[in-house]
Amino acid sequence: MNTAAQLFFDAASLGGIYAMAALGIALIFGVMNLVNFAHGQYIAFCVFALIVPSTDAVAVMFLGRAPAFLLIPLLLAVGAAAAVASEYAVFRHLRKATPVAMMISSFALGFVIQNALLATYGGRPKAISLWPELNTPVTVMGASVPLLQLIVILATLTVVAGLALLLKKTRIGLEMRAAAENFTMARLLGVRANVVITGAFALSGALAAAVALIMATQTGVADVRMGGQIMLVAFIATVIGGLGSLPGAVAAGFLIGAVSVLLQAYLPLDARPFRDAFLYTLVIVSLLVRPQGLFVPSSAKPRV
Amino acid sequence: MHRLLIASTLALGAAAPAIAADDITIGFAIATSGWMEAYDTPAATAAKIRIDEINANGGLLGRQIAWVEADTKTDRAQSAKAGLQVLDEGADMMVVSCDYDFGAPAALAAESAGINSFFLCAEDVKAGIQGVGPNSFSGSVLAAVQGATMAEWSHARREARTGYVLLDTTIEYNKGICTGFDWMFPQLDGTEIVGRDTFKNDDASIASQITRIKALPEEPDVIMLCSYIPGAASAVRQIRAAGINSLILNGSAVDGSYWLDATPGLSGFVVPVQGSIYGDDPRPEVEAFNVAYEKASGSRPASQYAYPGYILIDLWAKAVERAGSLDGAAVTAELEKMKGEATAFGARSFSGELHHQNSAEMQIVEISDGKPAVVDSWTISEPVPLQQLLN
Repeated sequence: MNTAAQLFFDAASLGGIYAMAALGIALIFGVMNLVNFAHGQYIAFCVFALIVPSTDAVAVMFLGRAPAFLLIPLLLAVGAAAAVASEYAVFRHLRKATPVAMMISSFALGFVIQNALLATYGGRPKAISLWPELNTPVTVMGASVPLLQLIVILATLTVVAGLALLLKKTRIGLEMRAAAENFTMARLLGVRANVVITGAFALSGALAAAVALIMATQTGVADVRMGGQIMLVAFIATVIGGLGSLPGAVAAGFLIGAVSVLLQAYLPLDARPFRDAFLYTLVIVSLLVRPQGLFVPSSAKPRV
Repeated sequence: MHRLLIASTLALGAAAPAIAADDITIGFAIATSGWMEAYDTPAATAAKIRIDEINANGGLLGRQIAWVEADTKTDRAQSAKAGLQVLDEGADMMVVSCDYDFGAPAALAAESAGINSFFLCAEDVKAGIQGVGPNSFSGSVLAAVQGATMAEWSHARREARTGYVLLDTTIEYNKGICTGFDWMFPQLDGTEIVGRDTFKNDDASIASQITRIKALPEEPDVIMLCSYIPGAASAVRQIRAAGINSLILNGSAVDGSYWLDATPGLSGFVVPVQGSIYGDDPRPEVEAFNVAYEKASGSRPASQYAYPGYILIDLWAKAVERAGSLDGAAVTAELEKMKGEATAFGARSFSGELHHQNSAEMQIVEISDGKPAVVDSWTISEPVPLQQLLN
């Protein structure tokens, strides 16, 4: 077995999931300075959308029955719709509120979504049999890699490239970038605030749905608490990547995934249960060294 | 005539509360909302089935048993409040949440009121004398017994000689299973633990843990997976997908077929249980209970975790009958005298040191081609020593 290649694929696939989630958070932060802590619950919501609402112990597939070519766009649309709906119901009324107030309401929104799922589906985790054949390992460069890992890596790269194109080449992308730089100025220059913000939420929700699909395929379970851990890592990735920087969020997502896999691989057994403590210590060190983030957008620098 | 009517009305009015006051009250301070509800409700339903049976047979100490309930909302602070609430409502004995963390605050309230408390299905040694006080008990079988059972059974019946330990460090229960396995497996002839690793229940991927298993010169005979659903289901899916075919050993927490869709066609997966929910338990009393449970709740138990609820009421009622009193200390003394006390789910013992089962007959359920079935029954050759449990 090729150890270096194996480590690379393990790290890149975990990093890819984190990067995609971090991107979802960074997109919204970019346009409205909101750290959306409900993002993890969007992920859980999308996973549960795959099964029929019921508190029975045995889950019956709902959207999950659809063939892949239908299911993927459908679930991305569900995620986008959930995010846009929450913007319309909650965040639109908080445009003039302080970032702290918005952050607290995103926590509250997450709590509402989680408890709604709990009430609808019950507290017991459910099994989801989504594309089990994707977990079959294939041999690449001497490493044994589940097909899903390759798909995650490729999907992340595609999403990042697609988003970069969207931001660089389209009108909405230009408006989003303008809004991220200076929202007030952009509005004065005719950028349509509602379109930009709705667009950002829709993209963010679709990214949450993509993470949900990957998680459901990888783990085979749906649990109301499942978005929480990813949300935490993704948020940290957006912070150490430089808040507001999309490439920064992606790079930091990959970085955290890679460090996590390396720690798991090389820490001595007694220290391994404290893997996350080591990981977050490194995060603190990174913030002490570069408090503005590792990959800072030019807009973050004072211009005077 | 008028006076008579008033007199009889008064008598009736006085009689109704008089009957209620004569009832024995069991207080359930359990989660009826929040994620813990999925685990507390089945065990509480089972407890109520036993209460109804006792009432139908003439009650306890010649009195009927009534119950009151307060919701802990799967919250530690609410648990203490729920405990106080059922005490206010006159609880003579308290049944608390399945898990130590969520049940202990209520159990402590029972302890300070001098009454008995029973955890619905806690399997950590702290849920008893060690973590609550002298009048607290658990209706379940210690996690370490489950791990030790897996070690000894797989060695005897499946020629397991090399073992790999995969510990999910999220909760104490998991460590308990691995403690039992680590105590028993190395004692057996010709065995070796060839590696170990840890993960977290909500890890998005356990790819690096799998890489480590794959890097072993030979696939281990057994993998002791100390985890619970959902993390366990996710780990099994990833282990099998990676082409690792070792026999996977588990604790009781993964019992139930509800999650099997996560790994279609799963084979070589073994779970120790107190009784089988699949209708193939060798003891007819267990199936009789499953039928009674279905009648009471509309569906068969989803996992073995309904059973401890039934067992705990059964044992407590016997102790009350023998003590002739509801006093916590007197009932505790009778419970501690129980050595191999027969229940529908096997013999149970308590002692002055341990209010848990450090040995118990367990049914071995194996999943083959996605179908669970009882394949054997096993009792460990010696109880797990207290020293191991307290480590």
